[in-house]
Amino acid sequence: MPDLAVEIAGVKFNNPILTASGTCGYGEELAELFDLSQLGGIVTKSITVRPREGHPPPRTAETASGMLNAIGLANVGVDKFIEEKLKFLEKFDTRVIVNVAGAKVQEYVEISARLADCSRADMIELNFSCPNVEAGMAIAGDPIAAEKAVREVKRVFPRPVIAKLSPNVTDIVAIARACEGGGADALSLINTLVGMAVDIETFRPCLTNNTGGLSGPAVKPVALAMVYKVYKAVKVPLIGLGGISNYKDVVEFLLCGATAVQIGTALFIEPDAPIKIVKDLRNYLTKNKLGSARELVGQLRSY
Amino acid sequence: MSRIAIEDVKILDSSDLGRGNYRLILGPFGRSRSIMAGQFVHLQVPGGSVFFRRAFSVYDVNPEEKTLEILFKVFGRGTALLAKCRRGDTVNLMGPLGHGFDPPGKKESVILAAGGIGMPPLYFLAKQMIQKKHESDKIHFFYGGNCRADLIEVARIKKLGVKLHLSTDDGSFGFKGFVTSGIKEYLENNKGDYRLYACGPTGMLKAIDRVAQERTIPGQLSLEAPMPCGIGVCLGCVLPLTSGGYTRVCREGPVYNIGEVLL
Repeated sequence: MPDLAVEIAGVKFNNPILTASGTCGYGEELAELFDLSQLGGIVTKSITVRPREGHPPPRTAETASGMLNAIGLANVGVDKFIEEKLKFLEKFDTRVIVNVAGAKVQEYVEISARLADCSRADMIELNFSCPNVEAGMAIAGDPIAAEKAVREVKRVFPRPVIAKLSPNVTDIVAIARACEGGGADALSLINTLVGMAVDIETFRPCLTNNTGGLSGPAVKPVALAMVYKVYKAVKVPLIGLGGISNYKDVVEFLLCGATAVQIGTALFIEPDAPIKIVKDLRNYLTKNKLGSARELVGQLRSY
Repeated sequence: MSRIAIEDVKILDSSDLGRGNYRLILGPFGRSRSIMAGQFVHLQVPGGSVFFRRAFSVYDVNPEEKTLEILFKVFGRGTALLAKCRRGDTVNLMGPLGHGFDPPGKKESVILAAGGIGMPPLYFLAKQMIQKKHESDKIHFFYGGNCRADLIEVARIKKLGVKLHLSTDDGSFGFKGFVTSGIKEYLENNKGDYRLYACGPTGMLKAIDRVAQERTIPGQLSLEAPMPCGIGVCLGCVLPLTSGGYTRVCREGPVYNIGEVLL
């Protein structure tokens, strides 16, 4: 039986299949459909200092092979998250990565400090890259700001810190290096691409936020190229995401250099997709006489 | 075991009911027995050319045959593709989802307000009420459409034995005017205590919500919103609550108390 376990910054995952932030809530709904312990890990919805209601509807739009969203970081806030949501996740044998978002560096630090004593938060993932709130992009697009933010969070959070990178930048490699320089233990990429859809009857954008974040199979080639480039430029492990909906997509990301992956938008169509992917990945490894998922990482034979 | 199932089901029958309206019978679906009126199923339209699933309220179930029925009107690409599906085709179905109607007390007089393709969950509610021995002549089923051809499955509603009040906006059949006008007129002439349930276009539900609040008639509305995930994780289908904040139509809804949601 091939070994699916992977390790990121000293943290062991039962398998490399995680659910992506913003697509699985805090796990409660998915737990009604399958045992969350079957996941390598779950990345929670972005948490902010105070609760946020999010943007007015419509917040999502269907596009070719994907979707746009501008939810606006709707979440329960860090207090309620720790009291209720994190407690709920205690009963599962899976890794919990808490996604953290803020309007300025100080907010990232404040939330991370609150999570420092919560052992169920195995890691945190810094959402520098939500395209739907202005403040996020200021850090995501600026290597100096990104490095500083990671460094300050690392000071208050004792376990591994992941920086989530935005594709909406001129040079993602520069940002990746900056985050690594700031002490990031791993990088996850990519967040959504800024996109737009227009209603030609009303002359209005399809989202009240006017623009949104594009996700789904439409963005997979972009994500793969970015994982491929960043893998060659940094030493820290990568978590790949962007349009993954089956085991073949996972293998592509591992070959390009991701140690683990996150399943996002695919959950909206097939909420149990991660379970199927774990099974299919195991079969793929067996069929190809590979002893572990780790053996695939970075094994792309590029031209 | 989860109360929600994700299963491939067959289209056992597809009927063109005219004016873009269709009826599908789907099965076998083991959980059809447990579906409550007002709940919905999330269908993956075959062919892969639309990205999201599409939500449909359940019109009827047959627990013995393990089947369920939906009615829909062709509105966009998803429904157009579904209309082209034929008997024997396979679709992936997730459900039952959401919260259904809270059934009325057995002795209560009930008004069901159905606008156009909002009719299915109310038919199902009436049927489940009658199965639980609710007196059929205490169920007033108001059903309206733009014109006569919009009123589908009328014979089947009649078979329930409910008091049927049909209306059309153009007067081509039944009472001339909106469903809400018919209900207002009925309430003027028939004083008493009622409980009201409604499903239909947003304009109609707004009017019903107002009528019910003015007369302090308790009841519930079944609402809709475009739903990417259907299970409460994407936060895409939200509507504003009158008490502030947003509610997920797929999860906390699609059925809400009168006055609960800002329409």
